[in-house]
Amino acid sequence: MIELAVSAAVMVGCLAGTVQFGYTFYIYNQLVTAVGNGGRYAAMRTYRAGAPSDIEKGKAAIRNMVTYGDARPAPDALPQVPNLKPDQVEVDWVMDDSGNPASVNVSLIDYTVDAAFGMFRFTGKPAVEYPFVGRFAPTESEP
Amino acid sequence: MSVAMVLMLAVMGLAFDFGRIYIARNEAQVFTDAAAMAAASKLDGTDAGLDRARQAVARLPMRWNLGTKSFTGVVVKFSPDKQSWARVTAPDNQVEITFLRAVGGPPVFTVLAHSVAAAKPVRLIE
Repeated sequence: MIELAVSAAVMVGCLAGTVQFGYTFYIYNQLVTAVGNGGRYAAMRTYRAGAPSDIEKGKAAIRNMVTYGDARPAPDALPQVPNLKPDQVEVDWVMDDSGNPASVNVSLIDYTVDAAFGMFRFTGKPAVEYPFVGRFAPTESEP
Repeated sequence: MSVAMVLMLAVMGLAFDFGRIYIARNEAQVFTDAAAMAAASKLDGTDAGLDRARQAVARLPMRWNLGTKSFTGVVVKFSPDKQSWARVTAPDNQVEITFLRAVGGPPVFTVLAHSVAAAKPVRLIE
């Protein structure tokens, strides 16, 4: 009876840890995919900079791509990763000396995985940097 | 009891070690995608273009192993005409195995990723 109590405690602890880390790794893997796809989308889309609001609209489209897998999601769209929100996606454009977009950084800020037996918080990761290879349209506006 | 312990280690290994391996593979693939596009975007048919491409790959700040390790040993190759495509391989990502090695698994698992990007226009082609 004592043996069972001791071994059960160990086993339950190990299984709890397995569930916790397994689920966290599963979610992190999905985040890597989402951020990577969003980064590639950002690198290839047209950078419209007719007004500061157009740049913000472009960033919003990139955030939506990371979050929903769609730059213009339906109002009832579900996030690709549980509890991921567009606000948690950071998009930073790196400009070259001429003021043209050279690359884009996409990362997550303050995303928490609720893994049943514990929480893991990711800030600044996953992160990607893609070179900008799309069309630069400094006078165009976002549709 | 010992049979149960082996089984438990195997289950933990499947969840923990395979989870890390899949993440490393995904991180390496995203890195080589970005690196191949960065390299291809610099190609112009000259040796200077190849140098710029290699520098662009080396400058990428991306990391693996849950975002903790830099990529090392990255191989960058180009088309013979120096302007059609760039291939980037990340061959040296060794994930240390924690639990599966206790039940006969290898001590490390090497994750490899590669990508090829065309230069005009810059697009991933492999």
